[in-house]
Amino acid sequence: MRRNQLPAIAGTAACALVLTACGGDGGGSGGGEGAEKDTISWMSVVHTPTTPETDGVIESALQDYTGMEIEFQWVPAANADEKINSALASDSLPDLVDLGNITNTTVRQAMTQGQFWEVEEYLSEFDNLSQIPPETIESAKINGTLYGVPKQKPMARYGVLVRQDWLDNLGLEVPHTIEELTEVAIAFAEDDPDGNGKDDTTGFYDREESFQLGFRSLAGYFGAGQRFELNDAGEVIPSFTTDAWKEAMEWYRSLYDKGAINKEFVTLQKQNQYDGIYQGKGGIVVTGLFEARGFYEGGLAADPDTTMEWALINDMTYDDVPRRILTDTNGGMGGWFAIPRSTVETEEELRVVLGFIDSLLDEEPFTLMTNGIEGDHFEFDDDGVVSILDQTKWEQEVQPFASSRPSDLVVTFPSAQPYVDLGNELMEENAEYVVLNPAQSLTSETFDARWSVIEQQANDAYNQYMMGQIDMDQYEATIDALGGEGLDQIVEEFTAAHAEANG
Amino acid sequence: MGAPMSTATPAPPTRQDRTASDASGSGVPRRTRDTRRMWATVWRRRALYLMILPGAVYFLIFKYLPMGGLAIAFQDYRPFLGFSGSEWVGFDHFIRLFTEDTFFLLLRNTLTISFLLLVFAFPVPIILALLINEVRLRFVKRSVQTIIYLPHFMSWVIIVSLFYVMLTTDGGSINNVIVAAGGEPISFLTDPAWLRPMYVMQEIWRNAGWGTIIYLAAITTVDTQLYESAAIDGAGRLRQAWHITLPAIRPTIIVLLILNIGDFLELGFEHMFLVMNSLNREVGEIFDTYVYNTGIVNGQFSYAAAVGMFKGIVGLILVVLANRLARRFGEEGVY
Repeated sequence: MRRNQLPAIAGTAACALVLTACGGDGGGSGGGEGAEKDTISWMSVVHTPTTPETDGVIESALQDYTGMEIEFQWVPAANADEKINSALASDSLPDLVDLGNITNTTVRQAMTQGQFWEVEEYLSEFDNLSQIPPETIESAKINGTLYGVPKQKPMARYGVLVRQDWLDNLGLEVPHTIEELTEVAIAFAEDDPDGNGKDDTTGFYDREESFQLGFRSLAGYFGAGQRFELNDAGEVIPSFTTDAWKEAMEWYRSLYDKGAINKEFVTLQKQNQYDGIYQGKGGIVVTGLFEARGFYEGGLAADPDTTMEWALINDMTYDDVPRRILTDTNGGMGGWFAIPRSTVETEEELRVVLGFIDSLLDEEPFTLMTNGIEGDHFEFDDDGVVSILDQTKWEQEVQPFASSRPSDLVVTFPSAQPYVDLGNELMEENAEYVVLNPAQSLTSETFDARWSVIEQQANDAYNQYMMGQIDMDQYEATIDALGGEGLDQIVEEFTAAHAEANG
Repeated sequence: MGAPMSTATPAPPTRQDRTASDASGSGVPRRTRDTRRMWATVWRRRALYLMILPGAVYFLIFKYLPMGGLAIAFQDYRPFLGFSGSEWVGFDHFIRLFTEDTFFLLLRNTLTISFLLLVFAFPVPIILALLINEVRLRFVKRSVQTIIYLPHFMSWVIIVSLFYVMLTTDGGSINNVIVAAGGEPISFLTDPAWLRPMYVMQEIWRNAGWGTIIYLAAITTVDTQLYESAAIDGAGRLRQAWHITLPAIRPTIIVLLILNIGDFLELGFEHMFLVMNSLNREVGEIFDTYVYNTGIVNGQFSYAAAVGMFKGIVGLILVVLANRLARRFGEEGVY
């Protein structure tokens, strides 16, 4: 980072970070003289602390099944945006790119400028890809065009997880309303729920992405929309400007002031948050309902004698706001598997890559990427219930692949692990109450160009408010000022697009 | 250190010109004669030039060629359209930079921190080197040296994580001590007022030991007879350090100072990026992190390139100025 030519920085960054991208480019995309394409380089996002080893058991099994040589380029979720952006800028893209953040400005621009193949017309040629629900395809489009294969997820996975054993210790009921949850949070902070005689617990255990994840979901219970919402005047406005959102902020701040949220959550990284939860520092987590299983396993690993138990809650409500849940998956669409035109040059090659994705949707690769290899990582009992044999081994060798599945919904395995079945069931129930983003398939040029910057500032203001650096008036002033930076224009453009789309 | 100029200038030395002009006057045009002489000299000293070659090639390929990429600062660069396809916009990005409020924020933050580093961090290695130099026991001297070098080899990620664990208000050891002593916990990590002191202290902790190497090397060149005669004249250790050691290493100090000043706007991205969060961003955002955020995270490549270029040009001007100043005061300078 001595001199400052961005391409150089971006180039080296891409090289260094994506590892194989620069060196392996030629080999990865091969296929000049009509040769059948038999390698796939795949930039894939991992949500686990470690990446699986190259040519590990799962990777080899996937290669055997698909008949393709796979070159994984693993990208940690926390840096996914910057790595994808630098790969885009330096045009060092692999054959297949996992794009999880659908609001990433650079990605959207790259798509609309034609950096990726339009795939919709090809989907019908494939057995599994043709089965993707039309609603999912609709919500995956930009400007009415589909620039990648949508990843299929449950409609809404979020909920509230509360330490059941702590509730029992304090003689409290499982909370189902925000009022009850408030009581529980304060009790967890003040009444020594783990009974060790020390003041070392708190209620909510949040992390730096609060504005995007944990708190956002809570604000949804107060009535705030999924990133954007339609107000009474027919305008499409961002939810962080709404009264419901601000009411939720005031509520959350009051809890923070009472010590019922971990003090420095705005600086806490995901892995540290998980460690804290495993160690029993906090008793309420707003997160995916599927996480309870991991929390339990982690708690057990941290302390074999732990009494940790989790209550999974998917029906939290506030006041007279009807039951609702914001989607954390863009309404069942967890991003795209996009195929760059620069590396996959011909339609034949495109069909090969699409065929590869299609084959991953079969049951066998799905099982491989979910449970691992039978007898090695897991086993079925007589009722078809899955039990993981060695948790650590599974976490290292199998779990990283889970987020690379083109669909989470191929098979639902009954599990011997506690909380898995319950989590699946509750997530399915969520679908009925899900709140979607009215702006998701709408188009706004200003949104594509400026949203990342605007959202960052709103996020900063939220954090400052939570930590007591600014008050609500100053928060509102910051949000007002964003109007001049493009937010007003975004609202205008979305509103116009919405009016057009809905007659 | 970020001043890659001068090292790569392959042009023949000035002495050449002088000898050439002294001898001029005959019928052959001067220029051709000069050129011929130059190549003759190059040929005669081919071994030396051959040795320069790898270095020159390195700078050419990794420092000078990539500068071509600066062109995107004058474009509306779109990755898909590439260099040739992107629209040329002239100085638009520079105008945006100088008219946005953030510019003054960035300038203020960058200058403040650079200044603090210059005042507090720059002298530390000098003082340390003087202290180490006075240590009598070889064993103690060596161990101290080794130990204080160590932090230099740790990445910022590790250092910032260590500090995080110590400084957090959620059970960090330092705050535990403060609370145990009856104080209020201090939010070192999020309070904007603490960011700069924390930053400077981390810089010192990591780099001061390493910085002593050059000074210690300079100190070893001092003629020991000077100390002996000073001792005979009755100078104590403090006087010796003040009147002999310090003046002896002054050229080294000046050179390092000039190089440091060249990096005045170039604090480096990694450290600040790691200690910054949304609560101290207003005092923490510096040019380097801003380039990263706008360029890599938000994908405004051209604008980020313009910011970076501005930073580079200011750095160049500063080095030249500092060097002139040093020469005016009779020091040697870096070139």
